[in-house]
Amino acid sequence: MEDLSKLSLIDQINGLKSRKFSSMELTEFYLKKIDQEKALNSFISLNENALKEAKKSDEKIAKNKNSSLEGIPIAHKDIFCIKDQITTCGSKMLENFVSPYSSTVYEKLSNSGTVNLGKTNMDEFAMGSSNETSFFGNVLNPIDPERVPGGSSGGSASAVAANLCSFATGTDTGGSIRQPAAFCGITGIKPTYGRVSRWGMIAFASSLDQGGIFAKNALDAALALENIAGFDEKDSTSINTKVPSFLNEAESKDKEHIVGIPKDIIENIKDDKVKNNFYESLEILKKSGVKVKEIDLKNIQYSLPVYYVIAPAECSANLSRYDGVRFGHRCDNPKDLEDLYERSRAEGFGEEVKKRILIGTYCLSAGYYDAYYIKAQKIRNLIKQSFVNAFKEVSSIMMPTCANVSFKLNSIQNPVEMYEQDIYTIPANLAGLPAISIPSGKIKKLPLGIQFIGNYLEEGNLFNLSNKFQQNSNFHNE
Amino acid sequence: MKISEEILNNISSLSKIRIDEKIKSDLVKDLESILEMVGEMNKIDTSGIEPMSHPLEEADNLRKDKATKEIKRDEYQKSAPQTDDGFYLTPKVIE
Repeated sequence: MEDLSKLSLIDQINGLKSRKFSSMELTEFYLKKIDQEKALNSFISLNENALKEAKKSDEKIAKNKNSSLEGIPIAHKDIFCIKDQITTCGSKMLENFVSPYSSTVYEKLSNSGTVNLGKTNMDEFAMGSSNETSFFGNVLNPIDPERVPGGSSGGSASAVAANLCSFATGTDTGGSIRQPAAFCGITGIKPTYGRVSRWGMIAFASSLDQGGIFAKNALDAALALENIAGFDEKDSTSINTKVPSFLNEAESKDKEHIVGIPKDIIENIKDDKVKNNFYESLEILKKSGVKVKEIDLKNIQYSLPVYYVIAPAECSANLSRYDGVRFGHRCDNPKDLEDLYERSRAEGFGEEVKKRILIGTYCLSAGYYDAYYIKAQKIRNLIKQSFVNAFKEVSSIMMPTCANVSFKLNSIQNPVEMYEQDIYTIPANLAGLPAISIPSGKIKKLPLGIQFIGNYLEEGNLFNLSNKFQQNSNFHNE
Repeated sequence: MKISEEILNNISSLSKIRIDEKIKSDLVKDLESILEMVGEMNKIDTSGIEPMSHPLEEADNLRKDKATKEIKRDEYQKSAPQTDDGFYLTPKVIE
């Protein structure tokens, strides 16, 4: 039998529909592979009902009652709640948390007929760029097991890259889908803020968090994303607008592109190999008829400091819910209420999470609020305006996804050096814009990614551009 | 920006996270390096600029304020460390 795990999502759907193979066979294939690749530590938990779900899908397919993704085995980042299943968010705090309800993203994909293989590993509460902050141990990069898969959605990226699932969900607050997608050589999309419901997706920084997809290529990602996008009355920040067929938009021949090149940013890329890769990628695009225009993105260099005020500030508020009283970890034998709070939180959270809560608390505390939080919000406004102005002239903006290829485990100890991993990905989160990372080449076998940032709600444009690139290159199949 | 013992104790108390004495000096070093990076913000003049709290201008899709009869207290309390008769238990607050 051919290696079914290597087929694209679209080929798998066709294979299932034409009865070339069943969902049971496909699911068994993946489960066996997950078992063989245990050392990657991509999964925190497996769904013991996966085969039952596959059987149900096969029955539906037999009756021609299949939904759009019927029988497709996928994985969910362990930040998406699933009713009656453990959702850890990579933290000791939620090690035993059984969710009483399901996230909208899970519900939608379940209604689309997908089979849930399990929950993927991640940096604790999505705070990290290497997957090393997970309470459940680090994840290995399948391309080089001495290196990190990126983070925070490292488990999902690693699982898709190692063909342990057809596609996977992820979340992106400052780059947590795009950076691991780049490090693992796959496609990852963070849609427009508000495009995908955050209901049941454990909160880190609510004005930045957005759910998205890891897939083998742009077309697969387009099809997967259209199945999770859409208005949800349970999320007050969800955008009430129709979701187009991203797959149709990806394949459309009518779209014209003017790609903006932020000259200052590109000229300042420190690694020559990354810079060369950017220009080589640009040539590939130009060959497919894409127009290019230089643009100026003012104040974008302040994205990192702005992010490291706003994200910790929001995280310090969001994570105050973990009090050791209603759910989550509680310390043994608390002597009074204060002791209960302080020790439960000290024991339940890892070092990186505590650091961010402390920074956020500091920036929001009396006497510092204006100097840090309000200042950051003002610059955030300026950064958004720079993008708004740029999109008057161009249809998308191209940048590298990361400043470097994947690094070795435990090689970055300085927090600021780790935070700098996200310098090219953070701006899209601050402005709330959609952005995609696709593979664009390799440095000594290690993948590099190129990023396209689109205008609000223009995910279809990004998929179309990415598909053009992938039709004229083969990096996504290497 | 220096993080004094007093500031550290204040933010530890505000965030209800006890900080182990052994890690204090390393933690302060990390927090100071983060704040130094954050301090870059001061290079830009933001007078007259409105603060932006959210990427969407019209993100206020509030549901109708309608009472429902859905009470799943027992289900929700299954995840609680300690409950009694529908109440969450904590150590004694009032002597």
